[in-house]
Amino acid sequence: MYSYLIPCILICTVTAYILGTRRATTLAKRIGEVKDLHSLPAHYGVFTALSSAIPALFIFAIWCFCEDKVIGTLVSRSLPTGLLQLSKNELSLVLNEVQNIVFGGFVASSSSDAIQAAAEHYKTLTSTARNIVSGVVIGATIIPAAIAYGRITPKLRARNIVETVAMVFLICCSAVAILTTLGIVLSVLFEAIRFFQVIPINDFIFGLDWSPQTAMRADQAGSSGAFGAIPVFAGTFLIAMIAMLVAIPVGLLSAIYLSEYASTPFRTWAKPIMEILAGIPTVVYGFFAALTVAPFIRDIGNAVGLTVSSESALAAGLVMGIMIIPFVSSLSDDVIHAVPQSMRDGSFALGATRFETIMYVIIPAALPGIVGSILLAVSRAIGETMIVVMAAGLSANLTFNPLTAVTTVTVQIVTLLVGDQEFDSPKTLVAFALGLLLFIFTLILNIIALQIVRKYREQYE
Amino acid sequence: MKNPLEPTPQVCKRYRTEKAFKRLGLSAIVMSLCFVFFLFYTIIADGYSAFTQTYIQIEVSFDETFFRGANISNANFPALVKRSMGKIFPGVTGRKDTKMLSSIVSPAAAYTLQNLVETNPKLIGTTKFIWVLADDDVDMFFKGKTVTNVAESNRRLKDKQLTWLDQLVSEGKLERRFNKTFFTSGDSREPELAGILGAATGSLLTLFITLSLSFPIGVATAVYLEEFAPANHWTDIIEVNINNLAAVPSIIFGLLGLAIFINFWGLPRSTPIVGGLVLTLMTLPTIIIASRASLKSVPPSIREAALGIGASKLQTITHHVLPLALPGMLTGTIIGMAQALGETAPLLMIGMVAFIADVPGTFTDPSAVLPVQIYLWADSPERAFSEKTSAAIMILLAFLIAMNSIAVFLRKRFETKW
Amino acid sequence: MNIQTIAAAGVLSLLLCGPALAARDYISIVGSSTVYPFATVVAEQFGKTTGSKTPKIESTGSGGGFKLFCSGVGVSYPDITNASRAIKKSEMLKCQANGVKDIIEVKIGYDGIVLANSKSAPLLKLSRKDIFLALAKEVPDPKNPGKLIANPYITWKDVNNSLPATTIEVLGPPPTSGTRDAFVELAMEGGAKKFKFIKAMKKSDKKAYKKLCHTIREDGAYIEAGENDNLIVQKLQANPAAVGIFGFSFLDQNSDVIQGSFIEDTAPTFEAIAEGAYPISRPLYFYVKKAHVDVIPGMKGYLAEFTSDKAWGEEGYLADKGMIPMPVAERKQFQDDVVTLKALDMK
Repeated sequence: MYSYLIPCILICTVTAYILGTRRATTLAKRIGEVKDLHSLPAHYGVFTALSSAIPALFIFAIWCFCEDKVIGTLVSRSLPTGLLQLSKNELSLVLNEVQNIVFGGFVASSSSDAIQAAAEHYKTLTSTARNIVSGVVIGATIIPAAIAYGRITPKLRARNIVETVAMVFLICCSAVAILTTLGIVLSVLFEAIRFFQVIPINDFIFGLDWSPQTAMRADQAGSSGAFGAIPVFAGTFLIAMIAMLVAIPVGLLSAIYLSEYASTPFRTWAKPIMEILAGIPTVVYGFFAALTVAPFIRDIGNAVGLTVSSESALAAGLVMGIMIIPFVSSLSDDVIHAVPQSMRDGSFALGATRFETIMYVIIPAALPGIVGSILLAVSRAIGETMIVVMAAGLSANLTFNPLTAVTTVTVQIVTLLVGDQEFDSPKTLVAFALGLLLFIFTLILNIIALQIVRKYREQYE
Repeated sequence: MKNPLEPTPQVCKRYRTEKAFKRLGLSAIVMSLCFVFFLFYTIIADGYSAFTQTYIQIEVSFDETFFRGANISNANFPALVKRSMGKIFPGVTGRKDTKMLSSIVSPAAAYTLQNLVETNPKLIGTTKFIWVLADDDVDMFFKGKTVTNVAESNRRLKDKQLTWLDQLVSEGKLERRFNKTFFTSGDSREPELAGILGAATGSLLTLFITLSLSFPIGVATAVYLEEFAPANHWTDIIEVNINNLAAVPSIIFGLLGLAIFINFWGLPRSTPIVGGLVLTLMTLPTIIIASRASLKSVPPSIREAALGIGASKLQTITHHVLPLALPGMLTGTIIGMAQALGETAPLLMIGMVAFIADVPGTFTDPSAVLPVQIYLWADSPERAFSEKTSAAIMILLAFLIAMNSIAVFLRKRFETKW
Repeated sequence: MNIQTIAAAGVLSLLLCGPALAARDYISIVGSSTVYPFATVVAEQFGKTTGSKTPKIESTGSGGGFKLFCSGVGVSYPDITNASRAIKKSEMLKCQANGVKDIIEVKIGYDGIVLANSKSAPLLKLSRKDIFLALAKEVPDPKNPGKLIANPYITWKDVNNSLPATTIEVLGPPPTSGTRDAFVELAMEGGAKKFKFIKAMKKSDKKAYKKLCHTIREDGAYIEAGENDNLIVQKLQANPAAVGIFGFSFLDQNSDVIQGSFIEDTAPTFEAIAEGAYPISRPLYFYVKKAHVDVIPGMKGYLAEFTSDKAWGEEGYLADKGMIPMPVAERKQFQDDVVTLKALDMK
């Protein structure tokens, strides 16, 4: 029974929907036509279905979450006193052993009789509890649905109820996104504050040296331990810049061509093929940048007498630019495509060429979307790690020469957070400070973008 | 007299600009397509050979003496393989030589025999010809992926082994076959035995969670923020914040996931459910931004028309605005999912960068995902893993293309021009 | 649309539930990325031959491994951690504080650290002193012995006349890596000791001595190349002037395209490292939680597999993968420790 609960609930819900709709239609016929109901019959159906599904799923979900804990606690209560005195963690090991016997049929050589008995107890408890829960859940599907069914009258404001539920759903979903932001800000903020208690904030923001790998243990010698963020941000900026120099022109031109010039079959094929660029794993780009592009740039540079380091910002930036082309092209293409045809027609009617239409009518109309897509691309460029690690190295040089090795914020965050780490040394904490600074940096970028969009957006209609 | 229909120099110039612009657009597309094909070419050229594997035929006599113990799995299967190899080359003696000889078959050969005997105990006492996997060094040699013109001491395969291999080839006891193992097994530290199924299943489970959470939540958030939320400073702040989330390094999402899902909710480490949840958080901003952009691009006149004939706000949105905005939302989802499919950094924090040989069956089994598998294989010392890496990338791309084509199909159905 | 909402809710709740979380019936291992390739082989062998679930092995780095390992006793914590160095006192204290009382230390073998370059470049014959002079941040002033100056050397020839005149360009691990720790300890410090006044510093000012020996130059001659050793190998092929630092197993697998530099006139070969003639090699370990041995399925089997001669012996499969085995007596000792579950003495 228990394992079929979900299908049961689903069947009940569908039945409730059908019954509710039927009932509404019958009621409507009794008093006249469907238009005499307050809401559409489907609304009544959904209303019934919702009252059947929501309570049942809610109860079931709660049970799923706490089943282990409830039964675990019950079983551990009944354990012999010798085992009861164990610490909480050790008790969890004993319970694990019990569960292994119950679910996996695994019996450790040392399994004592007490544990065997506990396993038996566990089994009975689980099956009893599950039977009870099944009953409750089935009840919770049928009873509220029956009540809702009984409440269906032509005057019942079913649509309003259903829409309220839908609104609640929408708000909950927005809350997830907002809570994520909050979670990230908070988790970064507190650690960053701890970092600033060790290293003065000025030294961090305005420092020109970056060498954070201080000694973790007493017997280890690290590097000088300078925490100046400027070289790291300069590197990020440099690489993102190079990437955008590739991605914006190529992406935007592709988007315009796809939506304004290309034939439909060409567009249908070319767009998804280009989107693949965004999905190729970054390891591939990393190898490509490090083993193909970087030596190529170095050879060219050496041929014309430039000193090019074998790990260069240029290689990483170019390859990253290729990776984010689809962010610009696909999203911009969608918004350009969505510009009303009437606007194009109007522009053509005035004698404008396609080029002029695009430049003076379509791009201004599609600007918010285009800026959005570029922002997303910049974000991705800033957030990318693998390519930079593989092709541009880890050494922080304060330079704007694209032919030298640089490092980026995300690369530093990743290297600081994996490997040897200690959550109270400035070395690890600085990762959070970097994250916070990056957050603020992109925040400013986003606010500027919002202002630009506001200022230049041509709102038609 | 001048023909009035003849274009003026100014018009000519405008049309020249027009043409140049069109050419520029086309070249941009051609350029990106070239990149795609170039990357595909390099991946496929390196990886296609992983789909075949070198096999060696050995004659195994399953003597009863080998299976004296009660438990079949305790028998010394590697010795059985060794003896069978000795049977092909009776002239090979000496400890060092025998070791070299048995090292041209994969250690996996012992597992093959063990499996055979365990599934069919009647084999004991019989003699059978069995094709077993060759060692990865042999495989690499036959695929031409090792440099052979260096001194013997620098080669993985020594001169003696090469002559044995020549003999095997001439006797028809060595051939390349389709590599079924690659598609049917999980990870392994023996390149010839390593398969992608575990990681692919892991990716499938993880992406299922990510998609089924991030698409509805993302779209719902976008609808709420774009259509219902009052236009005030709060909404601006939320908008900027969500845009900002897209730039948060993905590893930070991993940290958040570690704190919430593993430490607070107590979900098990290294499992698709945690991976899926973390990737959901990571892809949400992308989907929300794209969805909002496409909602913005739906002309207000459509909303006004629907409201005008008496539809409720929700009906307007669900019946008219959403279908029109769906192509853009799907694009955002594709890009977001593509990113989720290829992401490793946040998974590092929640323990999914791990060696997991068993194929996961449920959302709470430990599992790896494709990019992690690629990352791990790319970092393995054995040369043969390099082609496996490329092959795994091909599988990942196949995944991606399958996902994209579904989305393209849907996008095609919903796209309208007005 | 409301049906869509319901569908979404249904899926949501489906996902929230799934099957009830089953107990952990596999071994969970974390730790060093250097031990990872060896531990995985054992795990696989164990899983394939016994039919038990294959242990799950995460590659978190030695430090990260200890951190997870020492967080507590219980199913949500790992059973074993791999390490490319011995556990530190501070880490032991942390373990103690979190209730991880008995830990079994098992040394499994050695790993050589090699310097290598492309086959197309001349073979380097280095001494540890050369390595120190080429890579340290501060070196003794050649004109004024006893004084330290910032590293002035640009080519290998500047360091030692017998070396080729190529620019010093070394691709090596970042400081987060255990390989780097071992490299500076064994190669750099070993080279620095050749200078008498530096050796004298060890007694007078240990901190300054460590700092001098262990600090690698940050002017671009040493490139931190991330943890991907395969990438280093491929970069060496693409750039014959560069020298790479990585584990022996990568040299072993790629000996057809790269060559290991001689250190103190010894080539980095399996035999030389095993005999101890090759100076840069370090021990590898794993640590087991005693409290977990009986309760997690398969623990004893895994330990027995790892410490069997067919795994870590001279002819074992780990040696095939490039791990350098320990001498017989040492193996016997650790094997006994495992059988008797002898806990590490927490000093």
